Amino acid sequence: MRRREFLTTTGLAASVAATGLESIVAARRAPAFAQGTRLNILRWVDFVPACDVELRRQASEASKALGAEVVFEFINANDLQPRITAAIQSGAGPDIIMMLHNWPHLYANGLVDVTELGEWQGKEQGAYYAQSEAAAKDGARWLALPHGIVGLQFAYRKSWLEEVGQTTWPRTLDELRQVGMKLKKKGKPMGQTLGHTFGDAPAWSYPLVWAFGGMEVDRTGKKVVLDAPATLESVKFMQAFWKDACDEGGFAWDDTSNNRAFLAGEIAATLNGASIYIAAKRGQEKIKDEKGEPMVKDIQHGPIPNGPAGTHGYHVAFSHAVMRYGKNVKLAKDFLTWLHGKQQFAKWFEVAEGFSVGSTKYWEQHPMWERVDPPMKIYRQAAAASRMIGYAGPPSARATEAYTKYIIVDMYAKACQGTKAEDAVKWAAGELSKIYG
Amino acid sequence: MLIERTWKKWVYFYIPLTVFVVGTLFPFYWMLITAIRPDAELYRSWRAATNTPFWTLQPTLEHFRDLMAKTTFPQWLWNTFFIAVASTAISLFCGLLAGYALARLRFPMAGTLGTSIFVTYLVPPTLLFIPLANIIRTFQLGDTPWALILTYPTFLIPFCTWLLMGYFKTIPRELEECARIDGATRFGAMLRIVFPIAVPGILSAGIFAFTLSWNEFIYALVFLSSPEKKTVPVGVVSELIRGDIYFWGQLMAGALLGSIPVALVYSFFVEYYVTGLTGSVKG
Repeated sequence: MRRREFLTTTGLAASVAATGLESIVAARRAPAFAQGTRLNILRWVDFVPACDVELRRQASEASKALGAEVVFEFINANDLQPRITAAIQSGAGPDIIMMLHNWPHLYANGLVDVTELGEWQGKEQGAYYAQSEAAAKDGARWLALPHGIVGLQFAYRKSWLEEVGQTTWPRTLDELRQVGMKLKKKGKPMGQTLGHTFGDAPAWSYPLVWAFGGMEVDRTGKKVVLDAPATLESVKFMQAFWKDACDEGGFAWDDTSNNRAFLAGEIAATLNGASIYIAAKRGQEKIKDEKGEPMVKDIQHGPIPNGPAGTHGYHVAFSHAVMRYGKNVKLAKDFLTWLHGKQQFAKWFEVAEGFSVGSTKYWEQHPMWERVDPPMKIYRQAAAASRMIGYAGPPSARATEAYTKYIIVDMYAKACQGTKAEDAVKWAAGELSKIYG
Repeated sequence: MLIERTWKKWVYFYIPLTVFVVGTLFPFYWMLITAIRPDAELYRSWRAATNTPFWTLQPTLEHFRDLMAKTTFPQWLWNTFFIAVASTAISLFCGLLAGYALARLRFPMAGTLGTSIFVTYLVPPTLLFIPLANIIRTFQLGDTPWALILTYPTFLIPFCTWLLMGYFKTIPRELEECARIDGATRFGAMLRIVFPIAVPGILSAGIFAFTLSWNEFIYALVFLSSPEKKTVPVGVVSELIRGDIYFWGQLMAGALLGSIPVALVYSFFVEYYVTGLTGSVKG
């Protein structure tokens, strides 16, 4: 790809009037960045290795076109926050950093305003999912540019559910508990972590509050309303579900434990990203079921079943933030315009095969969805049913603080460990009040 | 009488020793077994009838091959070695001079200074990495091995100084004074008399500093970004943990290979190390 083609693909000049790309295109020459300029992008190590390979390939392409070296660095997701903190505090580090959840609100003061990019992407690729917008937008200001969403669903063993007479995925939480009881009696419990883990525990705990109609705060985001009958009901459900249907070792599980337990044939179902299915598919010669068949053939996905107030998942939004301390802000914005543009994003999106979906509804119509394996099709529209942590208040750094302190997760963990449901809810509401108070 | 001595030996020596040895070596054994266990066995249920958690019947070197071929592990190993050796050398040099001065020279506040140096060792690295990141940026050392070579001594020098200071104090002053009477300068006496006697202490400080540098994680994570410049602890975690999927076989192979240089250093100098920590020269 040449510089001219690069600009054409990033181009979209008409719709990016405010970004500066217009002036680049109008000038009919590539931006002149100082020789030796390097653009560093920090991301997590993707669950799908091919996605990182594709990004490295795109970086090489972008380097040639931009006349600046574009370098991706991939680190473990759990190590992103220390890197972000150090970078912002010291005023040095990667030019662009991947943000998970609603971190952009937490680090807002260290980020460049990317409103023009956010609006351009929304216009080019259709309406954003509410989750993407909540994660990266503060009022009218875009703090980061939404890149995608990782969906979380229940992975379950079809044949095991059939063994207890369940031919479809349970529709209600009560049904889930009944099925889980039967499975546990057969030595095939469900598995759910209630540990301090970055993904699976919150992705189960928050939706459970919402499924019963509970909320952390009211719509203003100022009043804590967690201590309510709905939350109490959800905690009582969890106590029973834990005892009747789950592997009770889950208190000590981290994000990896349920993957291993599922692939080892120790649990019948668990809430997770699609990584279990992907690992089983990639290693189908080694990961077999009890009949000696590839386990992947027996895996299906299902949503969190309905509670009295319906079902709302928590799917992890991620975005790219341009760091304020960076010396290559313009280059960073130009690169993001290119990377997030339909043409480039589509290549990465196809490689992800549904593990990560787009940040806008446009990507639900992509032909890839016709090609993916049937168990992956559920991820096509999953992101639409997601809520953001800190519900029902507006997205805020306080919600992130509550999340990073695992208050909602610990509320359920305490109750399942023997604390009275009422006391667990009061404790959690008290902890939230310290943050929101 | 003989019977009593036998059971006492078992109760007070053999059984505790066995528990200690098993407890100490089991993690390494587990690393080894996991590193040579095929993936199919790694994903086998603990409840499976064919499960053999403590050994494997189909050992494989597949994980070692993957580690070498699919990651830049040899480069990480070299980076770690270079950084650990350089920062240990700097720390030992500074620690030797500071330790000698605090143990031998008389100057105001020497005792307080010695204690203060040790107190700095107690500051957790997790608190220091932000101000240090600021300094690294000022000197434009980010993403270079020097970022670590110059920051590791911030916690290594206090430890080396403190350990060597204690060791120098166990060396009789008379030995040094004899050398001074025979015409040696203070520096000459230090170099030719005190340091040779202090070799066990110097080695134990060196081994400890080397081990700390080798295993350090948070500074290496924050200060280095290019994949080819990473150290073993950071590289292995970055490349072999993908979200909620751990490549256990390769991780354990990496941990095993990464611990061999440290184990070798210890095994060669274990006697000096023990002597260094206990102090060998009694006045």
